[in-house]
Amino acid sequence: MSEKKKFTYYPGCSSQGSALHLDESLRAIAPSLDIELEDIEDWNCCGASVGHIGGGQLPNLSLTGRNLAKAQERGKQDVVTGCAACYLNTHAGNEKIKNDVNVRAQVNEALSAADMEYDEDLQVRHMCEVIVNDVGLDKVREKVTNPLTGLKVAGYVGCQTVRPFAGTDGGGNYDTYDNPEFLDNFAEACGAEAVEYNPKTSCCGGSVAVMSPDRTLHLIKTIVEDAVEAGADVIATPCPLCQTNVEMYQDAINKKYGTDFHIPVMFYSQLMAVAFGLDGEKDAALHRNTIRSEKLEKMAK
Amino acid sequence: MTKPAPNTSEKYDLGFANWVYENVNGGDKLGLCMQCGVCSGSCPIGEQMDHGPRKLFMMIRAGMKDEVLSSNTMWNCTSCYRCVVRCPRSVPVTYILQDLAAKSVELGYAKPNENSKFSNSFWWSAKTFGRTDERLVTAKYYFSFGVVEGVKRGLDNLKIAWGMIKTGRMHLTMPHQIKDKAGLKAILAKAAEIEERESKS
Ligand code: SF4
Ligand code: SF4
Repeated sequence: MSEKKKFTYYPGCSSQGSALHLDESLRAIAPSLDIELEDIEDWNCCGASVGHIGGGQLPNLSLTGRNLAKAQERGKQDVVTGCAACYLNTHAGNEKIKNDVNVRAQVNEALSAADMEYDEDLQVRHMCEVIVNDVGLDKVREKVTNPLTGLKVAGYVGCQTVRPFAGTDGGGNYDTYDNPEFLDNFAEACGAEAVEYNPKTSCCGGSVAVMSPDRTLHLIKTIVEDAVEAGADVIATPCPLCQTNVEMYQDAINKKYGTDFHIPVMFYSQLMAVAFGLDGEKDAALHRNTIRSEKLEKMAK
Repeated sequence: MTKPAPNTSEKYDLGFANWVYENVNGGDKLGLCMQCGVCSGSCPIGEQMDHGPRKLFMMIRAGMKDEVLSSNTMWNCTSCYRCVVRCPRSVPVTYILQDLAAKSVELGYAKPNENSKFSNSFWWSAKTFGRTDERLVTAKYYFSFGVVEGVKRGLDNLKIAWGMIKTGRMHLTMPHQIKDKAGLKAILAKAAEIEERESKS
């Protein structure tokens, strides 16, 4: 792919808060990958994994309906998001709407209250899948001007980026859901070393970790511990909630288990930004990690 | 974990399974479950559930309505989808649990718990602003336990919050919000109305 490919971009709520550095680094690397991102105009929340409880199934699905109707105003190009929860909800919701005329009719009836309609058959995709399938690893390698030589990376994929859709046609068939390799491939394409890492797709606790950390600290402990034991300098992840949970609860884990963890948790896109020779702060947003990686910061331009 | 088992001296609601098949999202696939236990065995948080998904599904078939709807199974589910991808019968386990959670609130079974309080705070932000303001959702959630507990939870997490503020990942000004809040409000109200209408028909 040498020509620019245009996507309608859905940043998601975390892009304005806890995962600002995912959004900043994605926007920074997109031009290098020949991707043009055009935001959904006035996008709203996707409902995440709890919206249906507070709001009900159809109101929750209507959040996705509104985003898709807004995306359709941009044209027929694919919708892409970097957020695992946004991807899961928007992709699952879109497939449901496309495959069930009754559901589509109900969503459109709700949207009509604001004079909106979703009558397209858009595709909703995850940024990692786009990088694997459309951009290709060769392109990533080609863009590396500042290889991350000597950086050891534990590729922590998490759940919702690959589950349940990675192994499906609609999900782009770009990797498997139980032993995905794309993140390791990204790290190696950037010149870093991907360490052997078992809890790749273990769960960090998701929103349960936010509401009741006590119930899920043991899950995050395994994710951190295995990375440290494998000799990783940083954990890399594509998921906003994984990044925040695994980063912010290390203190609580240390307190509870008497450990001494302090390992940076970065987005793959931050690694790419550094490897592409982009600015460490403005583009890679390295200053946004609460546990900073000195090693990566020294490599950054 | 083993408490409620079918008891022949009790009366069970045998229409409950059919009700779940017809009314719960994904419930129509529940008949495919062959009780292999792969879901429960795969669940990262199964040991904190009253009953794993496999057992809960058997209890549905057995008509144990009260026990199912008041169980904490769905409130512990992290939506990791491991059960879904592993189920040999393609039962959409996560979706079923998610909707059972919503139904247990709707039917008055669920006592307010951390997950339901968090869900309400979350929905409040989505509905009011069109966006999740992580800061306000967290604050509203903490204080849903009362002022004392709210302050305590806030203080417990002060260091985390400060880290987020320093790195610019938590802002201190007006909530992020969409432009067309009125439009979104109308859509959500209409959707709730349709859902109500459909559930009666
Ligand atoms: S894995 Fe599937 S078939 Fe097996 S017990 Fe669970 S829901 Fe039933
Ligand atoms: S989605 Fe829920 S029930 Fe299924 S394995 Fe994950 S936590 Fe367990």
